[in-house]
Amino acid sequence: MFSTLFGQNEAQGPTGSSSLGFGPGKPPPPIPQNQVSMAGQMPPQLVDEGPALRKSGAMSGPFYLLRELPVGNELTGNTNLITHYNLEHAYNKFCGKKVKEKLSNFLPELPGMIDCPGTQDGSSLRSLIDKPPVCGNSFSPLTGASLTGFRLHTGPLPEQYRLMHIQPPKKKSKHKHKHHRPQDPLPQETPSDSDPKKKKKKRDDDPDRKKKKKDKKKKKNRHSPDHPGLTGSQPSSNSLR
Amino acid sequence: MAEKFDNLEEHLEKFIENIRQLGIIVSDFQPSSQAVLNQKLNFMISGLQDIDKCQKQLHDINVPLEVFEYIDQGRNPQLYTKECLERALARNEQVKGKIDTMT
Repeated sequence: MFSTLFGQNEAQGPTGSSSLGFGPGKPPPPIPQNQVSMAGQMPPQLVDEGPALRKSGAMSGPFYLLRELPVGNELTGNTNLITHYNLEHAYNKFCGKKVKEKLSNFLPELPGMIDCPGTQDGSSLRSLIDKPPVCGNSFSPLTGASLTGFRLHTGPLPEQYRLMHIQPPKKKSKHKHKHHRPQDPLPQETPSDSDPKKKKKKRDDDPDRKKKKKDKKKKKNRHSPDHPGLTGSQPSSNSLR
Repeated sequence: MAEKFDNLEEHLEKFIENIRQLGIIVSDFQPSSQAVLNQKLNFMISGLQDIDKCQKQLHDINVPLEVFEYIDQGRNPQLYTKECLERALARNEQVKGKIDTMT
């Protein structure tokens, strides 16, 4: 009875089972191949053929309710996937050193206030995805007639628009770059005048300034108490006149 | 592969520099700057043309949307890469621990 309930494939059961009074059971009926292949798929008419499919799925193998085992994969979680995909260098670069938080550290040459959230000034990339701009049109240069629309009034910008040019103070780098980019000037200046290096050079090369500096140094040295010529040159308060 | 990124980066840098100079001209406009302004506007259009040409080389590049969130918050996108690697390593160790206990 035990054998008829669970079924056995082998003609003879194990020795232990025979001692307990269990005999070899009947082998299960051969399963048609159509039903075996369908057990692995998900047909759309599952509701009607449910019991039949379940039976075939249950009997698809030597053990009841045991489906086919998944195909073994050589790559498992047991292996270090970072070394497997040669990402050690990337791991050391990003996780070994401290990565700076701000966007301006990643893009130091980019002008403007880029560390502020994009939602504040409407420059977020998310809005670009949600509302994509009109694409597909060709870019044609502006003709003389269309350029007349860009004739501007003279003078500085109104105050409400001036904040766009303000940049956060940049830390002075120790290494001086060979090619110098003109910095963002104040609204009154023009690009040709903004070259602080040239201004600094002019100051240093001025001979009058050098002379003045030397004179100042001499005066300081004369008035200092450690100067050797002080007691001889200056009249002492105790001398009689 | 790095060449197409370098090409796009170069075009973008030139474009941004052109826009920056446009802003300087506009901030205190003089009548003598009109010709320069017109020139810069046409440079802007040619810059957009060059950037548009670059998209053919980069049509197979996919960028995760989470990186955009980092950029919109003003954060360094390399932090996303760092967090991905750390999460991958943590998950790898977790699964390895499970396999070791099962075997």
